Amino acid sequence: MAIHSLRVVAATAKVYFTITWRFSSLSGFALRFFAPIMTLGAAWVLYNQVYGGAETLSPEFVNAAGNVSYLSFVTIGNAFYVFVFAAAFVVGRVMFWDRAMGTLEATFITPMSRLAYMAGVMVAAAANSMIDLAAVFVIGLLFGFQVSSFNAPLFFSALALTALALFGIGLIVNAVTLSFRDRVNTANTLMILFMVFCGIVCPVELMPSWAQTVSTFLPLTYGIRLMRVSLLGTEAVDVAGNLVALFVLGAVYIGVGIVTLRLIERNLRKKALFSVF
Amino acid sequence: MFLRVVFAEMEKIFKLHFFSFRVLFWTLALPLGNGLYLYFLYLPFAAKSVDLEFYASPFTLNLAGFTLIGQLLYSFFTIMLIAGADFEREREQGTIEAVLLSPANRIAVLLGEALAHALNYVWLLIGILLSWVFVLNVNVYVTDFLALVLSIALSYLSLVALGMCFEALFVASRRGGMYATALQEPIMFLSGLIFPIQSMPRALLPFSYLLPLTFGLISVRLTLLGGASIFDVAVPLAALAFMVVVFFVSATWFIRHAERDAKKKATLAQF
Repeated sequence: MAIHSLRVVAATAKVYFTITWRFSSLSGFALRFFAPIMTLGAAWVLYNQVYGGAETLSPEFVNAAGNVSYLSFVTIGNAFYVFVFAAAFVVGRVMFWDRAMGTLEATFITPMSRLAYMAGVMVAAAANSMIDLAAVFVIGLLFGFQVSSFNAPLFFSALALTALALFGIGLIVNAVTLSFRDRVNTANTLMILFMVFCGIVCPVELMPSWAQTVSTFLPLTYGIRLMRVSLLGTEAVDVAGNLVALFVLGAVYIGVGIVTLRLIERNLRKKALFSVF
Repeated sequence: MFLRVVFAEMEKIFKLHFFSFRVLFWTLALPLGNGLYLYFLYLPFAAKSVDLEFYASPFTLNLAGFTLIGQLLYSFFTIMLIAGADFEREREQGTIEAVLLSPANRIAVLLGEALAHALNYVWLLIGILLSWVFVLNVNVYVTDFLALVLSIALSYLSLVALGMCFEALFVASRRGGMYATALQEPIMFLSGLIFPIQSMPRALLPFSYLLPLTFGLISVRLTLLGGASIFDVAVPLAALAFMVVVFFVSATWFIRHAERDAKKKATLAQF
């Protein structure tokens, strides 16, 4: 059973990887970087033109972020956001597109594990997202991004755990987009939630208390924090605590995601909604 | 006849979009989310205010007001971008030939669509503004109501005219949706939405001055948050008035050109 599921994961990942690169377009690829380039550009203007350098940063920022460069701080947040964007959106729309293309019925007729199928998509999406992540780091170099240390085990652990949490979120979004036939608004609203509350452009500690409460329930908050530690060597962060929090939240989201996956399959079968579009 | 076409188009758009998830997202979730994001972008800095100046003495504006009010106007701009993609949808639905076969004035069709999207936003805009003032304590400081009314009205009209231009351009492109998406971030950056326009790198300023949003943001922020008088915002208001005329004339030319070209090449219904 486990080997069969692994074969499903590998086959699905191969299919999605092939689809992504066979139908890739330069404009589509470039569009994915507009938001981070804009944020990096805006951060550069704020830092250099509007306020004028490191001495204009608040003491609260220095305490919360550690003695790190503001532009490096923002670059890492944005690189991580691009990773999230690329990974979560793909998994969140898998069955919506399957239904739109008329392949959902065939997919569900096969005896394969649905979870393995979705995991295969996530593997392909995460692999593609790594390219985006690397690209934003390269773009960040133009805006003043500097890596002061590189803790490889922590970096890849943070990425892997975040990808797991994203998989859970993707499963939930997949259920919502399929059930409500809403490809755009649910995913976009979620992305705004991540963008605003995960500490992409400022440490969570500087946000209002209500925003900090929201951020504690988002796994990406911990993922971004760990990635900053791994690349900038920040000392003021409890690494073990953040790793545990990321793992627990990831497990919770995956658990909820699996339940929603089963529920939508039952609902589709009961109401014969496989090919209704 | 012209007005009847305008009203008919408006009725159609209202029926399609008056209250939908799409409208809720673009008018509620997006401005609040983006506004907070930009506000948080400023939090690492010690200063909690922004100086804004444009051919007048600088005004010091509250940070929350600067970012959130800017977002309201930007969301309106986004609505007009999406309105631009709407006319192209007629082709996707297979109804564009019928629309163009009718004796309806093309400008009336574009105006009706743009006005409907704009009006659809206004009722939400007022609610959002009031809720931000009372719930998020965005400080409003108005000393010259005429300047404020003119700023809002001219921003509104220039964006409606620009929306008409987008409609006429996008229908010929077949990629309206993609252009509408692709233009959002560059315009956010160039318009001075995120930071005061005087801090824009000089090489990019000419592009900023092509956007009505740039002048709309300056005049609305200064009159609504900084207590600026009509004399303080005379230059951006004049620029906005000029743009209303230019975009309206351009939209007329673009739609005629698109129709003539499509008829000549028989590409109207091809998708």
